[in-house]
Amino acid sequence: MTPASLALRGLTFHWRSHLGVLLGAAVGSAVLVGALVVGDSVRYTLHRMALMRLGQVRYAVASGERLFRDKLADDLAEAVQALAAPVLQLPGSVVRSDRAARANNVQVLGVDGRFGKLGDGEALVPGPGEVILNERLAAQLAAKFGDSVVLKVNKPSGLSRDAPLSTEDDATIRIRLTVSAIASDLGFGRFGLQANQVPPFNAFVSLKALQKAVSVGPRANVLLLGGGEAVALEQAEEALKKTWTLEDAELEIREVEIPAAGKALELRTRRVFLDGFVAEQALNAAPGARGILGYFVNEFKAGEQTTPYSIVAALGPPLVPEDTKDGEIVINQWLADDLKTKAGDRITVKYYVMGPMRKLEEQSSTFQIKKVLPIEKEAADKELMPDFPGLKDAQNCKDWDPGFKIDTNKIRDQDEKYWKDYRGTPKAFVSLKEGLSIWKNRFGDYTAIRYPFEAGAKEKLTAELRKNLDPKLAGLVFMPVRDQALKAGDQAQDFGQLFIGFSFFLILAALILMGLLFRFSIERRASEIGTLLAVGFTPKLVRRVLLLEGMGLALVGGALGVGCGIYYARAMLYGLSTAWHDAVGTSALFFHAEPATLAIGLCSSVIIVMFTIWFGVRSQARRPARELLGVGTGVGSEAASAPAKAIWSTWTGIACIVLAVALVAWAGPRRDEAAAGAFFGAGFLLLTAALTLGAALLAHLGRAQSPQLSAAALSVRNMARRRGRSLATLGLLASGVFLVAAVGANRMDPKEGAMQRTSGTGGFALFAQSALPLMHDLNSPAGRDAYTMTKKDLDGVSFVQLRLHAGDEASCLNLNRAQTPQLWGIRPEALADRSAFSFSSFADGHADKANPWLLLKKTETDGAVPAIGDANSVTWALGKEAGDTLDFVDERGKAFKVRIVATLATSILQGGLLIDEDRFIERFPSESGYKMFLIDAPPERAVEVTAYVSERLEDFGLEASDASRRLAEFSAVENTYLSTFQVLGGLGLLLGSIGMGVVVLRNVLERRGELALLRAVGFKKSTLRWLVAGEHGVLLLAGLLCGLIAAAVAVVPALRSPGADIPYESLGWTMAGVLVSGLVWTWLAVLLALRGNLLDGLRSEGA
Amino acid sequence: MPESHALIELEGISKGYDAPDSGAPVYVLNQLNLTVSAGESLAIIGPSGSGKSTLLNIIGTLDRPTGGKARLDGQDLLALGDAALAELRNRKIGFIFQSHHLLPQCSVLENVLVPTLASSDAAVKQGAEERARKLLDRVGLGPRLTHRPAQLSGGERQRTAVVRALINQPKLLLADEPTGALDRAASDKLADLLVELNKELGVTLILVTHALSLSARMNRALELRDGALIPATSETRA
Repeated sequence: MTPASLALRGLTFHWRSHLGVLLGAAVGSAVLVGALVVGDSVRYTLHRMALMRLGQVRYAVASGERLFRDKLADDLAEAVQALAAPVLQLPGSVVRSDRAARANNVQVLGVDGRFGKLGDGEALVPGPGEVILNERLAAQLAAKFGDSVVLKVNKPSGLSRDAPLSTEDDATIRIRLTVSAIASDLGFGRFGLQANQVPPFNAFVSLKALQKAVSVGPRANVLLLGGGEAVALEQAEEALKKTWTLEDAELEIREVEIPAAGKALELRTRRVFLDGFVAEQALNAAPGARGILGYFVNEFKAGEQTTPYSIVAALGPPLVPEDTKDGEIVINQWLADDLKTKAGDRITVKYYVMGPMRKLEEQSSTFQIKKVLPIEKEAADKELMPDFPGLKDAQNCKDWDPGFKIDTNKIRDQDEKYWKDYRGTPKAFVSLKEGLSIWKNRFGDYTAIRYPFEAGAKEKLTAELRKNLDPKLAGLVFMPVRDQALKAGDQAQDFGQLFIGFSFFLILAALILMGLLFRFSIERRASEIGTLLAVGFTPKLVRRVLLLEGMGLALVGGALGVGCGIYYARAMLYGLSTAWHDAVGTSALFFHAEPATLAIGLCSSVIIVMFTIWFGVRSQARRPARELLGVGTGVGSEAASAPAKAIWSTWTGIACIVLAVALVAWAGPRRDEAAAGAFFGAGFLLLTAALTLGAALLAHLGRAQSPQLSAAALSVRNMARRRGRSLATLGLLASGVFLVAAVGANRMDPKEGAMQRTSGTGGFALFAQSALPLMHDLNSPAGRDAYTMTKKDLDGVSFVQLRLHAGDEASCLNLNRAQTPQLWGIRPEALADRSAFSFSSFADGHADKANPWLLLKKTETDGAVPAIGDANSVTWALGKEAGDTLDFVDERGKAFKVRIVATLATSILQGGLLIDEDRFIERFPSESGYKMFLIDAPPERAVEVTAYVSERLEDFGLEASDASRRLAEFSAVENTYLSTFQVLGGLGLLLGSIGMGVVVLRNVLERRGELALLRAVGFKKSTLRWLVAGEHGVLLLAGLLCGLIAAAVAVVPALRSPGADIPYESLGWTMAGVLVSGLVWTWLAVLLALRGNLLDGLRSEGA
Repeated sequence: MPESHALIELEGISKGYDAPDSGAPVYVLNQLNLTVSAGESLAIIGPSGSGKSTLLNIIGTLDRPTGGKARLDGQDLLALGDAALAELRNRKIGFIFQSHHLLPQCSVLENVLVPTLASSDAAVKQGAEERARKLLDRVGLGPRLTHRPAQLSGGERQRTAVVRALINQPKLLLADEPTGALDRAASDKLADLLVELNKELGVTLILVTHALSLSARMNRALELRDGALIPATSETRA
């Protein structure tokens, strides 16, 4: 005989009374384990999705509009002995040929067999004229094998489309293709470089066919590396440095023939303007380097004489002598004749400079003619004209398309003749210094750099440039996409914790129920404990025996719970895939349980159950043996506690109420974290107040002497008799009701107050996104005209346009932790003028509450770019807070930091970070145009405007919708979480009400003798039932009421905010359910406890 | 034969409770004195509510007096902490209650051995089972070793409780209405057993009883009245 065997005997002998405890432990453990397994499953799903979308890809170069040779992939593959694939990835949209369905924001991917090899499974390779759609895109289009679809693809431009000298007419092309297959998730259909559980719309086409269609030659803009043995990032970068060529940076060194002056070497770029970092290196790459800036001007004017549309070159000697001063110009003889001018005369040059949104500002400069040159030798050099896309191939002047409207009426016959004879030979020359000061722009300073020609110079120059130029600066930056993807999944929202949070009350209710049952079972065995104490067991040893018994229960219950937890997790995953779909945005959740998780769940539940049991056992073994053996006097029961305790309870309760009211008053009409903290704080204080005041009241009632004994007084006395038990019932119900009601009141109705500027929509009626960038200012008549939109149709409508740098979706719609979120470039004044949106928090030292949007314009001391983000995105999707910084890499491979200077209260701007447009352009000069739009429109015309802009901008894949709808999508996630909490909290409450029934049963069974006595002295059985049910009904009502009052007061800050949406109906039903369930269980317990002949109880007591 | 030194010495023992209305103390035991020699058998009688059980609990260290001095086998009971008192109870005192308080989940033999679990004394533990078997044989329960309490008669249960009280070879056996729940025949049998054990084992026996026949069989009988002990008269004893 050992304490353990004694415990084992107790365990087996009292198995019936332990059954309830076991069930409680199993429920608690199942819910805990289930929540953890949900976490495992979501993590596993994200991990699996990451691997599905990347296949064997480890690193990727995504150079956007900068194109490199597709052969670079082969060179790299050979260098590192791995698999590499070039991809031409272009944004586009797809529409069914019958126009029955369309999809915007499609990733059009030009791929070949090399791409297929990087997939994990059987990746299909499209042939010419074919397109393979991924499952999501096929579903969107309802397309199947053999269907015909039209792809609209953004054509990459060498010169940024933002530049006025780039053309817009050929910005997009249409390709009609036949669907040859549907790529499954395992067939690389999910391919994408951004972490998101929702796959992108992917259309795979033949690389060669796409290259041909968009006229880029054998070039690509995405390079994937992976497969085989793991290649280190440094190794890949080293290999890239060895294998890249100038062509991969869109640079070309060519030999040019200068009339009568022989050959020269010239460095040019497909991008027209040489990047600053290239020019810097190139000017020092070889002796005699000369920079050239060619520009297209609108007009030369001398007196009344004008010459339209010409090329001017800014360069050095010999065309522009060294001694040329500022304000002097050299012109050719043709121009001098045309303007009827000579050296020493003054001429005015009119030209456009580039403003934002392709806004052209015509400016002019006046020069004095220093010299007139005949069109010969260097002055006859046609190659000085840059390769402006709309000019270089034009047969005559009327075919010009410089990217802005030109007045063809101004073009005269002599101009056509000049073009025919001399093409773009500059008509005028200014010093490089002068030219740069007027025409340098964000795309670059020079259009060419020339070097003296000599044998072997080209090779030498190439080698020198390759040596000094970092391929990263040309956008050839390897991103460790696989690591990032896995990290995004690993750091994702922990659904395990989330569901533990949701299930918290359910677990608590199960534990309280279990604790009560165990305690009751121990109470029934009071004499057993008394005997042990009497025969010399110390209370500690008694506790040990009981705890050992409890441990057995905890282990068995825990093990049962693990089994049930797996089913509970499956049920939760089913919920997440169906009713709670909005919370995860995907229906493809894979069940996965890590053995370690199950072990952790089991251990945690055993520990929690043990603690609960210890809590129940603790006081029992402390009671004196004589009391337990029923041989004492029976004095010193709970009801006779010291009045001092009751006074202390009263004051504690009052203090809690005062503090709660103060907290609520302080929080005001906020919905930020501070308000949430105040909400829970106030709620907790009010609940504490309810319990402490309840304790004081019960203590008072227990001591109170009724002048006349009545049935009601007897009931009250009974409530006070088992004060701890009554308080546990009250506390369980009150806290459950509080949690369910208060959390429910946090639901948001996005439509409520949506037109207010301070609301989550910023007061904007519509939100739009386009697949292809829009270049023009949609608020200007010219911009609207460019898209054939009329002033009349857009009367009262205004746009705020945002640039978009692709990145991870940093919103609650993405389960992954966004590693590099999207960046949105915006003119802060546009939002500042409207006082749009509400701010939630500010970084230290950035609290410019008067004009917070202008924080984006401020200069940070460490050079970081200030950013503003939605508080939910920042907190949950990025795991950051105001003041934190994130690392980004700009278009030239240069790292920069973005500091979150402020956060917005729940808004439609979830998903990315807003930065100042100028800073966006500085860092991503090639990323042209606008893809996001906030649209102000009169509410009554919102539907009409949505249809109008969607139709007019259909070619750009623009989708406009109610801003409140976007907010609703985000709110749906939060609201779904709240629903989940409500459902699980409701289950907890149900369990709590069963606990109430158990308490009633126990109370009545304990008092069976007394009740028998009342029966003996003439009380009717029905009266006794009502007596008992009444006293417990009061407890039930008191619990509900305390919980509701605490919730009502605590949610005042949330209720005051716009969009607050209390689900009165569902809350009402929940409360009614709890009340009914509680009453039913109470009544059942009463019936059960008072069944049979009560008087027998009386006799057995006396026996 | 019983030894002659004093096993129990109570001096000026009081036990009072606060009255619920006035708060003034009400004394159940008032300046009570008692000396019991080793090996003696003593019956304490008195009307219900006179404090007999309270006195027994104080002697058995299950309760503490509010005043006075109490010594057991020379040890000052009031100077001992709870753990020491538990050990003292385990080693020197055996209890028999009106209700047997057997553990329903344990067999007769196991019930008897329960007190040995609380003992840290190896000597006590050693041979405990052998001792239990002998004692159970002695009380006629040899064939019932593996039976559960539910399978025993009332008398058998109480005899099991007696053996349990003796398993650690205590010096003092305290019995609170030991025959209170038994019929006449079982009561007589138990009374015989207690008297025999007192004589055979030399264990001091103090019992509280209403049964005059039982009190008559003790060496001495005292009546508890108004919080003090007085010798029982032949009327009250007979």
